[in-house]
Amino acid sequence: MSSARFASSRALSPGIWIILLLAVVSTTGVLLMPAPERGGAVLWTFIDYNGKNYASILAAWNRAHPDTRLQAKVIEYAALQRRMLTGFFSGTPTADLLEVERSIANRAFIGPLDRVGFVDLTDYLRADGLTDEIAPAVYTPWSSRGRIFGIPIGFHPVLLAYRADLVEAAGIDVSQIETWDDFFRLLRPLMFDRNGDGQPDRYLLSGWNNNPNTIDILLLQADAQLFDPAGRPTLDTPRNAEILARLVSWFAGPNRIAADASDFTFAGNRQRLEGYVVATFMPDWLAGSWRKDLTPLAGKVKLMPLPAWERGGRRTSAWGGTMIGIAKSAPRPAEKWELVKMLYFSRELAETNFNEFLIVSPLRRHHHLPMYDRPDPYFCGQPVGRLYLDQENNVPTRPSSPYTQEALRLALDVLGTLKQHAEATGRYDAASLEPLAHQLLAEAQRSLLRQIARNPFLLAAP
Amino acid sequence: MKASRSFSEWTPWLFLAPYLLIFGTFVAWPLTRSLVLAFEQTYGPKTTAFVGLLNFQFVLHDPLFWTAVRNTVLFTLAAAVTQIPAALGLALLLNRPDIRGRRLFRLIFFTPSIVGLAFVAIIFTLLLEKRTGFVNSSLHSLFPVWDPDFPWLESYVMPSLIAAALWLSAGFYMVYFLAALQNVPAELIDAAHIDGAGPWQRFRHVTLPEIRPVLNIITLLVVTGSLQLFELPYLFYNDTAGNGPENHALTIVTYLYQTGFRTGDLGYASAIGWVLTLVLVGFALLQRRMTQRGES
Repeated sequence: MSSARFASSRALSPGIWIILLLAVVSTTGVLLMPAPERGGAVLWTFIDYNGKNYASILAAWNRAHPDTRLQAKVIEYAALQRRMLTGFFSGTPTADLLEVERSIANRAFIGPLDRVGFVDLTDYLRADGLTDEIAPAVYTPWSSRGRIFGIPIGFHPVLLAYRADLVEAAGIDVSQIETWDDFFRLLRPLMFDRNGDGQPDRYLLSGWNNNPNTIDILLLQADAQLFDPAGRPTLDTPRNAEILARLVSWFAGPNRIAADASDFTFAGNRQRLEGYVVATFMPDWLAGSWRKDLTPLAGKVKLMPLPAWERGGRRTSAWGGTMIGIAKSAPRPAEKWELVKMLYFSRELAETNFNEFLIVSPLRRHHHLPMYDRPDPYFCGQPVGRLYLDQENNVPTRPSSPYTQEALRLALDVLGTLKQHAEATGRYDAASLEPLAHQLLAEAQRSLLRQIARNPFLLAAP
Repeated sequence: MKASRSFSEWTPWLFLAPYLLIFGTFVAWPLTRSLVLAFEQTYGPKTTAFVGLLNFQFVLHDPLFWTAVRNTVLFTLAAAVTQIPAALGLALLLNRPDIRGRRLFRLIFFTPSIVGLAFVAIIFTLLLEKRTGFVNSSLHSLFPVWDPDFPWLESYVMPSLIAAALWLSAGFYMVYFLAALQNVPAELIDAAHIDGAGPWQRFRHVTLPEIRPVLNIITLLVVTGSLQLFELPYLFYNDTAGNGPENHALTIVTYLYQTGFRTGDLGYASAIGWVLTLVLVGFALLQRRMTQRGES
């Protein structure tokens, strides 16, 4: 073979040249494509309607600050969690402002305090005299080791929504209800077997032993804390054992009163419309959601404070929550703080949140607004806003430990085991279940401590 | 001439470059990094401290990890015992020329693997739901004493996952077996038939040895796929991040994910990942040895 022929046989074929050409052209094309305009600061939110909600406030800010324009981007809940944590863990940029839900926010508090990805807002709040604008308990889910990292959109007190049409038709007077025992005793006649199949066709309460929200609401209401104020786990307490043991008979046995009508599902909503459950735990945001999505229940539902665990006990709890925080990677944090104040402290947002979604503002400066006293036809003319605001000082302190979800999961496991034990032995009374509850909670406590002990960053903090 | 020779020397590297770049960036570097992380205590990759073998020691004494191992092994055994015979049985049935509409049946059985894991998980949770689920409402209609609130997903965690995986995978592996069965020489079957071999003997001594390589591959796929189970429990028990009631649905990969991406403990997650890798490699070697022994 001659050298010239050898060289030509090794040269690139026309096909390869075409592929290379296409690669070069497409790469050049992508590089020359205009990048999406990043107008100054960016806010990530997982709440799709907030993009619209914030439009007028952001427009006013952008007019006043043409150099630091802000745009809101709606990102799916799980994607926002992943992007935020990835950014915080690795130091890569995130949005300047982040609007995140409670269970996501506390994951950012797992490391050393100086490495938390949010800007510490404690001193900003103090400097502007805003600390007392919000009840101290409302800050707790957004705080870690005594520092505040986020401003909440609400404090989300929980009331009990009940089917007033069914309850009043049965001649039951709910004003006589003070405790859960009163509630079950007085409403018991509503539970009966209509079709003769041996099963009740109505239950008194929506909720289930493996639903973290149900159990979280009830534990918080009972002051059955999973963590102490310093963030140490306190699963193994007499109060936790007592409450979990008492809850077993709600979900199993001859005196069962609860049914699993899931929130935000077709099946759960159908069960509510059919009157399968009489009462549902109702934070303010869920009341807004019902008013929008469960319109056939308009004029059939009323709100009342939660029955207490004991006479004189707490009549509310807390469920859910969203905060806004400033990412440490954001330039000019003081300027972003002004933006946060304009957004979250504005009367306009308080009005939109209540009028559209029934979310009551956590800011005391707005609590006098007449909208909160307006009768709501959906809830049989009750002043919904005022009913929620009346609970402001009773809302329980919530933990912000990054291990909160884990602790709650362990509590659910304990309750599940207690329920199985009761079903196996046929004994559902709290007194006989409490010793086992203690034993299981002690094991859960050890398991959680073992996990937390692996985290030198959290425990090393003062 | 010199330039041509130089060009020809570089040409293979030019062609290899994209692969090497991608392999290096997305496989070799992350693998190396995760090996280093396995010896570190971390809060994300930026805050790290070298802890030697501490992560591996913790793995060995971590009850949650062993719960995950127990669940994963149980699922893997059940998957192997149910999926492989079901897939082979379907393939044998649908390979028979006397079955009418067998192409349609092949399509029907293969369909679950087209729709994907997320869809299968949603369908099964809807089927097994309390009161409104198809299973409970049907049983209650047939037997009024049946409790329509029977908690299938709480009481039968592993069987629910195994059933969903079977429904998803049997049709997929059936296609492999069908391809293998169609390559079994007809004259061997005929010869065995003439020699008086019954259906079981023909299957045992003719068909099975012929499809053995495919059977080995499918066993490997089922076992390694099951050991990496993540999506089904995660979607079934989303409320508890895939743990399920009393951790009955917790698998090794779910635990790895929770540790690494929910609590930022990438070091411990890497250690779990490497333990899983060792198990997978060990199983692959064991299976290879058994295959070689079978062939010899």
